[in-house]
Amino acid sequence: MSLPSLPSAPLGDLRGSAARWRRRHLLDRAMRWGLPLALLVVLFPLFDMIYWIAVRALPTFTWATLTTDQVGLGGGLYAMIVGSFTLLALATGFAAAVGIAAGMYTAEYAPPSIARWARVAGNLLAGIPAIVLGYFGYYALVLYTHWGYTTLAGGITLGVFMVPFVYRTADLAFANVPSEQREAALAMGARPGQYLVRVALPIALPAILSGVFLAMAIGLGETAPLLYTAGWSSTPVAGLFQPTSFLTGAIWNFYDYPSTEGSFQALAFQAAFLLLILVIGLNVVVQAVAERYRRRTRGMMA
Amino acid sequence: MDEPISPGDRPAMGRSPGISEPAPPAAPSAPVRAPSLRRWLASPLALAPLILLGLVVAVLAIASEGQYFGLSFWGPVWEFIPTDPAGSTYGIALFALGTAITAGIALILASGLSLAIAIALTTYLPPRTGRILTTLTDLLAGIPSVVYGIWGFVVLAPYFASTVEPNLRNALGWLPGFGGPESAIGGGTGLLLGIFILTLMVIPLTTAVMRESLRSVPRDVVEAGLALGATPWEVVRRVRLRVARRGLWGAVFLGFGRAIGESVALAMVLGNTIQYPPSIYGGSYTIASFIFTQLDSAFFYPELLRALVEFALVILLITIAFNLLGQRAVSGVRTRTVPGAGGRA
Amino acid sequence: MTGPEPGPVGPEPILSVRHLSVRAPNRTILDDVSLDFCDREVAAIIGPSGCGKTTLVRSLNRMTEVAPGVRIEGSVRYRGEEIYDPRVNPVLVRQRIGMVFQRPVPFPLSIYENVAFGLRLQGIEEAEVDRTVRRSLEQAGLWKELDGDVERSGLTLSGGQQQRLCIARALAVKPRVLLLDEPAASLDPTATQRIEELIFDLRKEYAVIIVTHNMQQAARIANRTAFLYQGRLIEYSDTHQLFENPREKLTESYVTGRFG
Ligand SMILES: Nc1ncnc2c1ncn2[C@@H]1O[C@H](COP(=O)(O)OP(=O)(O)O)[C@@H](O)[C@H]1O
Ligand SMILES: [Mg+2]
Repeated sequence: MSLPSLPSAPLGDLRGSAARWRRRHLLDRAMRWGLPLALLVVLFPLFDMIYWIAVRALPTFTWATLTTDQVGLGGGLYAMIVGSFTLLALATGFAAAVGIAAGMYTAEYAPPSIARWARVAGNLLAGIPAIVLGYFGYYALVLYTHWGYTTLAGGITLGVFMVPFVYRTADLAFANVPSEQREAALAMGARPGQYLVRVALPIALPAILSGVFLAMAIGLGETAPLLYTAGWSSTPVAGLFQPTSFLTGAIWNFYDYPSTEGSFQALAFQAAFLLLILVIGLNVVVQAVAERYRRRTRGMMA
Repeated sequence: MDEPISPGDRPAMGRSPGISEPAPPAAPSAPVRAPSLRRWLASPLALAPLILLGLVVAVLAIASEGQYFGLSFWGPVWEFIPTDPAGSTYGIALFALGTAITAGIALILASGLSLAIAIALTTYLPPRTGRILTTLTDLLAGIPSVVYGIWGFVVLAPYFASTVEPNLRNALGWLPGFGGPESAIGGGTGLLLGIFILTLMVIPLTTAVMRESLRSVPRDVVEAGLALGATPWEVVRRVRLRVARRGLWGAVFLGFGRAIGESVALAMVLGNTIQYPPSIYGGSYTIASFIFTQLDSAFFYPELLRALVEFALVILLITIAFNLLGQRAVSGVRTRTVPGAGGRA
Repeated sequence: MTGPEPGPVGPEPILSVRHLSVRAPNRTILDDVSLDFCDREVAAIIGPSGCGKTTLVRSLNRMTEVAPGVRIEGSVRYRGEEIYDPRVNPVLVRQRIGMVFQRPVPFPLSIYENVAFGLRLQGIEEAEVDRTVRRSLEQAGLWKELDGDVERSGLTLSGGQQQRLCIARALAVKPRVLLLDEPAASLDPTATQRIEELIFDLRKEYAVIIVTHNMQQAARIANRTAFLYQGRLIEYSDTHQLFENPREKLTESYVTGRFG
C-alpha cells in the first residue's frame, strides 16, 4: 500500500487537513515497522547466547564428558548429570503428588471460597524467589533436621519449588473437563471417586503431564534452591542422605575459573550446553503434549 | 471482557509468578459431592499451596528471631566482623539500593520492550509469524538463570568493558551516573550488565502477560474503533491500551516481583561490591544476590545467618506484596499459553 | 453465474457492488453479489441466519479484511470510486462509510468522548467538536434523554441508549453511508422503536443500509430490500414489491415464514 495517495474526489472529500491525515498515516506505518524491532532486540541476545555457549562447549564436548567423573581440574559431568536427575526425580515425585492431588481437590471438591484462597496461594508460591526457598530448605531440612547437606533435602526443596507449576495446570485441567462428561458419568451411577479416576483423570491427564514436564524443565534449571541443601560432591550420588552435585551447580562453581583448555570453565560451559538442550527438549515435549490435549478437547467440545 | 480462549492454545516455557486464572467454570449443575469425611480430609490437600506458603514464611520468621529488625538493620552499613559477629552491623540499605536500581531500571526497559512486542504481536504481525515469534520469546523464559549468568560473565562482560561502556561514557557522560573517570569502567561486570541481563530475564513474563491482556480486549471494541476511521495505531493507543490497562499494570507488578527475586544470574554479573554505586558501571549487590553468595559463610555464625534470613524475609514479603497486586490486576486476563494453566505466562 | 440484475435505483447510486464474492478457505460466504444502494434511502438486507448478511455489509467499508483468512473478489464503488483499489487506504473508506454493530460497544470513556472519538482523530478544533457532539447526540435522541449529562461513562447507559450512543458516535464522523448490522437485535421493543424512528430520520441525510432478521422491521423502515440466501442475492427490489409480490419462489417462501 502506498502513501496516503489521497484518492481523487469523491473519496477525497476529506474532513480535516491533508497534512494531518498524512501524519496519522505515517505514524501508523512507523509503528507497524518499528514495534516489531523490539522483537529483534530480544531475540538477538537469545541466539547470541545459544551460539556462544555452543562455541565454548562443543570443542571439548565428547562422549566422555557425559560418562566420566570430574577429576582435578577437568574430567566429565557424570556425577552432576546423575545428581541432577536424582534430584529432579525426587522433586518431581514430590511436586506431582502434592500438585496433582491439590489441583484435583481444588477443582473438584473444595468449596469456592477455599478454592479461591488455594489458587491465590498457588500463584504466590510460584512467585517466591528461588533463593528464599533455598534458605527455607537450608534451615528446615539441613540445620533443623541435622541431616546436613543431603540429596533428599535438595530434592524436597526443589519439589516445593515445582509444586505450584504442577498444581496450577492440574487445577485447570480438572476444571476444564466438560461438565457433560461429569453429568453423564454420575447419571450412569458412577461414584464421585470412580468418576474422578475413570473419567476426569484420563481426560485431564495430557494437560497435567504437560504441567509436570514444564515443572521439570523449570526445576532442572534452578540453582538457588539446591546450593545450600544438596551440597556438593565430586563423585556420583551415593545415597539419599549423602550430598550430591548437579549441573547448575557445576556452572555456578566453575564459571569464573580462567579459561584454559580442559579447565573448570570448559566444564561449566559443557554443563550449560547440556542444560540448554535438556530444557529446550523438555519444552518441545510440553508443546507437543499441549497440542495433543488441545486437539482432544476441541474434538470433545465439537 | 474476556473473549473465550481455548484452554490449551499454546504452551510456553519457563517460570513466572502467577497470573490468577479466572475462577474456572462455577460448579457444574451436578457437583461432585464426596462423603463429608472425605471432604474434610480433602481440605488440607486443596490448601496444600497455602500451607506450603505459610510454612516457608513461618520457618523464615522463626529462623530470623526478629533480632536485627532494629534501626541499624535498615541502615546503610554492613560490617561483618568474624571475631565479633554479635557486635557487627548488618544493614540492608545498600543492598536494597542495588535491588531498586537493577530491578527498577530493568523493569522500565522490559515493560517498554514488552509493550512494543505485545502490540506488534496482537495488532500488526500476521498470526502465523506471531505464533513462531511467541514461541521464541517464551523460550527465553525457559533458559536457566545460571546460563544467563555464565553468558553474561564470560561473553558479555569483556565486550561491555571494551566497547559498550566506553562508548556509553563518551556519549552520555554528561548524564549523572553515566560519566565519571575512565577508571570507573572495570571488567565489565556491574550495574549496567546486571540491568541488561535482568531485562532479558523479565521480558518473557511481562511480554506474556501484556500480550494476553491486549488479546483479551474484545474484538468488537477494536473493530468499533476501526469502523470510526481510526488507524490501527490509533485503535491501539486510544482503545486497546485503555481497555487493557489493568492487565498491563499487572504485568509490571508481576515483573517487579520476578526481578527482585533473581539471585544467581546477578551474583555472576553484578560485580558483587558492597558500596554506594559510583556510576552505572560500578559493582553492586542486590538483596537476593547477596544472600545467595553469603550462606556458606553463615554456617559458622548464627548471628550472620539470622541477618541473612531477615534479608530473605524482606524480599519474600515484597515479592508477595507485588504478586498480590499483580494478580489482582490481571484477574480476568487469561493466559492461554499453557494447557489450562491460567497462571503460566 | 451472475446475480439478478440490480434493480433500477434512480440517477446515481452512492454504493455499487459488482460481482462481490467473499471466500473462506473451504467455503464461499458470499457468491457473486451485485447490487446498488442509493443516497437518502434506507436499504434492508434480510435472510436467514448465516446467509452472509454481516459479511456483505462489512465488505462495504472494508471491515471484512480485519479478520484474517478470507479472500474478497469483485468491486465496490463508492460514488464511482473503487474502494478496493490498492491505493485507497481503508481508514479513509471507513470515515465515509460508517458502521454500527449488532452488539453496542461503547468505549470505556465518557459519553462525550465516545462521540468525540472520530473527531479527535481528525484533529477537529474544540468548538466544532463540541457542536458536532451535541448535534449527534441530539440526532440520536440522547441529549434530551440524558439532560445534557454527557460526562458519565458510556458504559453506564442502558443497552438501547448504548446502541444509540454508538449510532451518534458514527454520525459524528459525518459519513455519507451508514451501515447498521442488526442494530436492534439485542434490544427490547421500546428501545427498538426508538432506533427505528432514528433510522427513519437519518435517511433525510444519509444512505442507510440495515441488516435485520426481522422482516416487519424491514417492511416498516426500508425503501428497498435485498434477500440473501446461502451467500447469494436472490432478490433485490422495492420493499413493498419484495414482500407483497416477490418475483422469486425462494423469496416468497421466506417472507411468508415458511423457513428461516
Ligand atoms: N472470517 C470468516 N472465516 C470463515 N467463515 C466465516 C468468516 N466470517 C463469516 N464466516 C461464515 O460465513 C457465514 C455467513 O456469516 P455472516 O455473514 O455472519 O451471516 P449472517 O450475518 O447472515 O448471519 C457463516 O456461516 C459464518 O460462519
Ligand atoms: Mg450477522
